[in-house]
Amino acid sequence: MKPEERPKAAFFDFAGCEGDQLQVANLEEKILDLLNIVELVSFREVMTEHSDDYDVAFIEGSITNSHDAERLNGIRENADVLVAIGACATIGGINSIRNVQDFEKVQERVYGDEREHYEAWEKAKPAKAVVEVDYEVHGCPIDREEFLHVVQSVVMGREPNIPDHPVCVECKLNENVCAFERDEFCVGPVTRAGCDSCCVNEGAICWGCRGLIDNPNEEAHEEVLEEYGLTAEEVIKKFDLYFAWQQEAREDE
Amino acid sequence: MKIIKKNVFEGLVDELIENDEREIIGVQSKDSKYVFDRLEKAEGLELDYDVTILPPKKYFMPQRETLVEYETREGLEMEPVNEVIPRIIIGIHPYDLEAIKQMDKVFADSPKDSNYLEKRENSVLIGVNMQQTSDWSFAGSMGTATVDDGYDLMLTDLGKKYAVEIGSSKGSDLLEKISEDVRDASPEEIDKVEKAKEEIKDEFDKELDFSPQKLPSLLADTYDQDDFWEENAEDCYSCGTCNIVCPTCYCFDVQDFSDISLEEGERMRQWDGCMLEAFAEVAGGENFREERAERYRHRYMRKGRYLYNRFGDIACVGCGRCSSQCVPDIADPTDIFNKLWRGKDE
Ligand code: SF4
Ligand code: SF4
Ligand code: SF4
Ligand code: SF4
Ligand code: SF4
Repeated sequence: MKPEERPKAAFFDFAGCEGDQLQVANLEEKILDLLNIVELVSFREVMTEHSDDYDVAFIEGSITNSHDAERLNGIRENADVLVAIGACATIGGINSIRNVQDFEKVQERVYGDEREHYEAWEKAKPAKAVVEVDYEVHGCPIDREEFLHVVQSVVMGREPNIPDHPVCVECKLNENVCAFERDEFCVGPVTRAGCDSCCVNEGAICWGCRGLIDNPNEEAHEEVLEEYGLTAEEVIKKFDLYFAWQQEAREDE
Repeated sequence: MKIIKKNVFEGLVDELIENDEREIIGVQSKDSKYVFDRLEKAEGLELDYDVTILPPKKYFMPQRETLVEYETREGLEMEPVNEVIPRIIIGIHPYDLEAIKQMDKVFADSPKDSNYLEKRENSVLIGVNMQQTSDWSFAGSMGTATVDDGYDLMLTDLGKKYAVEIGSSKGSDLLEKISEDVRDASPEEIDKVEKAKEEIKDEFDKELDFSPQKLPSLLADTYDQDDFWEENAEDCYSCGTCNIVCPTCYCFDVQDFSDISLEEGERMRQWDGCMLEAFAEVAGGENFREERAERYRHRYMRKGRYLYNRFGDIACVGCGRCSSQCVPDIADPTDIFNKLWRGKDE
């Protein structure tokens, strides 16, 4: 691709930890490959310049107040393509735990006595709850290879290859001993694959950071978790770490 | 039938690991379970295992495999790829040997799958008769608790020694290396092996209530019992575990991955399964088996009927991997088949 043909790309952060932009900054030698297909005009992790002339906007973090929403709307108007990166931006992420907690308590915990001065929504939202999102890179944090794959798809105007099956598929391909056979619990059966079941490969469980698959069997999973000995309350907690916003959106459908 | 002492066998395995250019694979423990994996030392072998998480088919059809590499720098150039690593695989149970025999037929059928066949031809299979059975296995009912062929060598544990049956010259070649320590089995030893094989058939907790030969017609008659299939599929996650762990599932998905340079890439295949929602989706978004229950039924139909109609084999060897690894516990073929059998006259 000729340098002048590359689309211009900018990164924007909202409520999140910048862990996803860090993944991009850590692409190492692959960053040059990335720069071969896009021109970076705004990327706080590695450059100080900023430009409002961009074609592709990468959004990290969840949207938690009306100021955020306004800013995101502005970015949407400016960009041809909007890409949400990381669980906070794709599904509300860790921030959405508070969606199922008592809001006043949340505010008090976060802002203490200053809470009057901060305008915050009761619920954290992913980018797609506010504007139209064209592409998503799932995960908390995102996977570098998948990020590159999505950027490539953006540039070529193609559908990226993002699995819509549960993490269990990759987990079994990797021949892991299932969490349920280790007397542990796991939300892999309802979570979107694509991370190569990395957490289970390391002996942990899947916490669901890539969000629910399009058509999860949540009812079965609740029953199963209860059968394996979780109380109803614990079952809800299992689902709320990452799924709070998605579950509510599914209920509203 | 031959006899070798166990320490001689272990010595042979260590010698192969050390000096043979082939990769030596054996059954080993992984946490509380067992897997086929590259062997570092003969000591690591666990030949009294019950069942492995994945069957040995992963050595002939890897979970992910590159089929073609391509470049677009100067027009499209494609290069077929088949990474064949010659292997000696130690510790395959009879039901898995039967499954490999079935897979050989499937992949040799036209169009021949050379990626599978070449890997298969470059493998030596050392079987072992079962000493322990998995709680979920029903190989006794499926006639796969023992086999008469399908191996290059077959071991039976006789305490301090192994009885070894020779299945091919690939197998007997291995014994050449230790020919001084190999002797013919005595009539008593042969009787012992025969007896062990007879006894193992009754060691299974799970059973099919009828002859597996009756499965094709039973499944044809019960295909339309929608309520039955829906009820049983209710808790299905469509997670594909029961496909992936099955030694006779062979479906795969082919996708192209281009490098970020956009100038080169590869065509890969990865295991797929009929329980996954996207499996029967075709271009345009149409899905032939959109409902969980349809996919659920399809798997049983394949195992007990469709593959029989095509290749003459009941494509379930009773290993019990599907049922033991299905989290909601709804994938037990004996449970479903027996229920259908009992209900058939109602
Ligand atoms: S998705 Fe995870 S890594 Fe990304 S901003 Fe949110 S918390 Fe951080
Ligand atoms: S550990 Fe989790 S992701 Fe892996 S197979 Fe079990 S339930 Fe599925
Ligand atoms: S295994 Fe689960 S928690 Fe871990 S990266 Fe994958 S989706 Fe996220
Ligand atoms: S039957 Fe069990 S293992 Fe098979 S897809 Fe359904 S939930 Fe997964
Ligand atoms: S269907 Fe289940 S029991 Fe039968 S061969 Fe496959 S995994 Fe084994």
